Amino acid sequence: MTLISKLYDWVESRLGISEVIQKEMTGYLLPRTINKWYSLGSVLLFAFALQVISGILLLIYYVPDADKAFKSVSVIMNEIPFGWLIRLCHAVGSNLMVATLFLHMFSVLFMGSYKKPRELQWVSGFTLLNLVMGISLTGYLLPWSQLSFWATTVATNSVGAVPVIGEYLVEFVRGGKLVGPPTLGRFFAVHVAILPVVIAGLIGAHLFFLKRTGISAPPTRNNQAATTWQGGAYHYDKHEGGIPFFPNFFLHDMTSISIYFACLLGVVFFSPYLFFTPDSFVPANAFQTPAHIKPEWYFLANYQILKIFPSEIIGLTVQGAGMTFIALLPFVDRGDKRYPLQRPLFMVCAVGGIALFIALSIWGHLS
Amino acid sequence: MGQEGRRLFLMTCIGGVAVVTAGAVAYPVISYLAPRKGKDNSASVSIPEKDLPPDGAKFFQYHGKAAVIVRKKDGSVTALSAVCTHLGCIVQWEAQKGQFICPCHGGQFSTDGKVLGGPPPKPLELLKVTVANGVITIG
Repeated sequence: MTLISKLYDWVESRLGISEVIQKEMTGYLLPRTINKWYSLGSVLLFAFALQVISGILLLIYYVPDADKAFKSVSVIMNEIPFGWLIRLCHAVGSNLMVATLFLHMFSVLFMGSYKKPRELQWVSGFTLLNLVMGISLTGYLLPWSQLSFWATTVATNSVGAVPVIGEYLVEFVRGGKLVGPPTLGRFFAVHVAILPVVIAGLIGAHLFFLKRTGISAPPTRNNQAATTWQGGAYHYDKHEGGIPFFPNFFLHDMTSISIYFACLLGVVFFSPYLFFTPDSFVPANAFQTPAHIKPEWYFLANYQILKIFPSEIIGLTVQGAGMTFIALLPFVDRGDKRYPLQRPLFMVCAVGGIALFIALSIWGHLS
Repeated sequence: MGQEGRRLFLMTCIGGVAVVTAGAVAYPVISYLAPRKGKDNSASVSIPEKDLPPDGAKFFQYHGKAAVIVRKKDGSVTALSAVCTHLGCIVQWEAQKGQFICPCHGGQFSTDGKVLGGPPPKPLELLKVTVANGVITIG
């Protein structure tokens, strides 16, 4: 008996690991019709882990002080060995993570996986999308460049449209009348301490909901793959005769993660400044607003909506109503059909909504 | 090749890829975390002689560590490492006693760095010093 098998037996006799492996890996059955879109959740877990690890590494050299932040980022990029790699993985990774979140959401939308009994997965997932956008927004300020400073000024300014307390809210978020050193302290704390913990907790809840309801089967024209759940008592969606998670679907997950990682490294090595503008390389100057300051691509639609409407409060209300509608979609769209081509109204709304989002983003970019 | 042979071959390939990947990840991370080298460790430090009080000592950074120059009773200048040889605390100058005391465990050193009392196992490291034209040069 080798040392490893002795060690395995020792742990096995105490924790029953093989039972856990059987239950969660080899005995965890998934629908035979499952497709690669289902691996986006694992890709996002990997992306989040990569953001956490690269973020912790950046914390070693980053100085959250308005006088030193830009310089510390320059040192990371130019002087610390492989600092550029860590920082670019973090910055590019945040953009790719948001893009993957959108893809994950669209796949869930078109396969109707948000429908009962998976309403909680949808709500927690949509909240996660917003939290990830929030963590990206707060991280945007930290390099303390002209872009960071003025994009944050514009973003925090829109909070002022809230009636009655708007002005106070802006000041509260900024820690002062204008964006300045107190804003950096606040955004730093939210970015590295509060939001990562909240996101990790919500990911845990999201996975818990998934495990409790069971994974949904992809719908087809002839087989709606509707749940057998009729409401009332708790029910777990089993997939008798399905494929085991390990090794079958695990390999799909690994393939998708490899593709994601290849895309990330592709941008980092071949187009490292894809998500940076020239203003990202100039230290923040509170007395000089650069021309054409724009938010990140995933906020361009929101930015353009605020510009279209004559009143900021109407723009915010429209966005709030849209977000609420998407968040509560499973409670609005309650039909049993899941195959997209058998849901014409849904298809028109979903495709139209995505097209509108893309059009507004392009308009925002070009305006 | 039998099924066992194929399995072994595949496992070896996967293991090899895993090792190469781990190396490719570990190398940049370890390089990133490795302590940064000083700008120029071979450089000497120059201090104007007027900055050294007649009965006092002056502490400064030398090759990334704390060092001290002190004027002895005969007027000559000594340069020493200020790092206590016991557990690495920084020694303090006691002008009245004319000796160095380590605040951590009471080690005592003379102006030549010799151990006068306490737990330090060996004297303070002596540094090369020259005085010329009103400038003290260490190193």
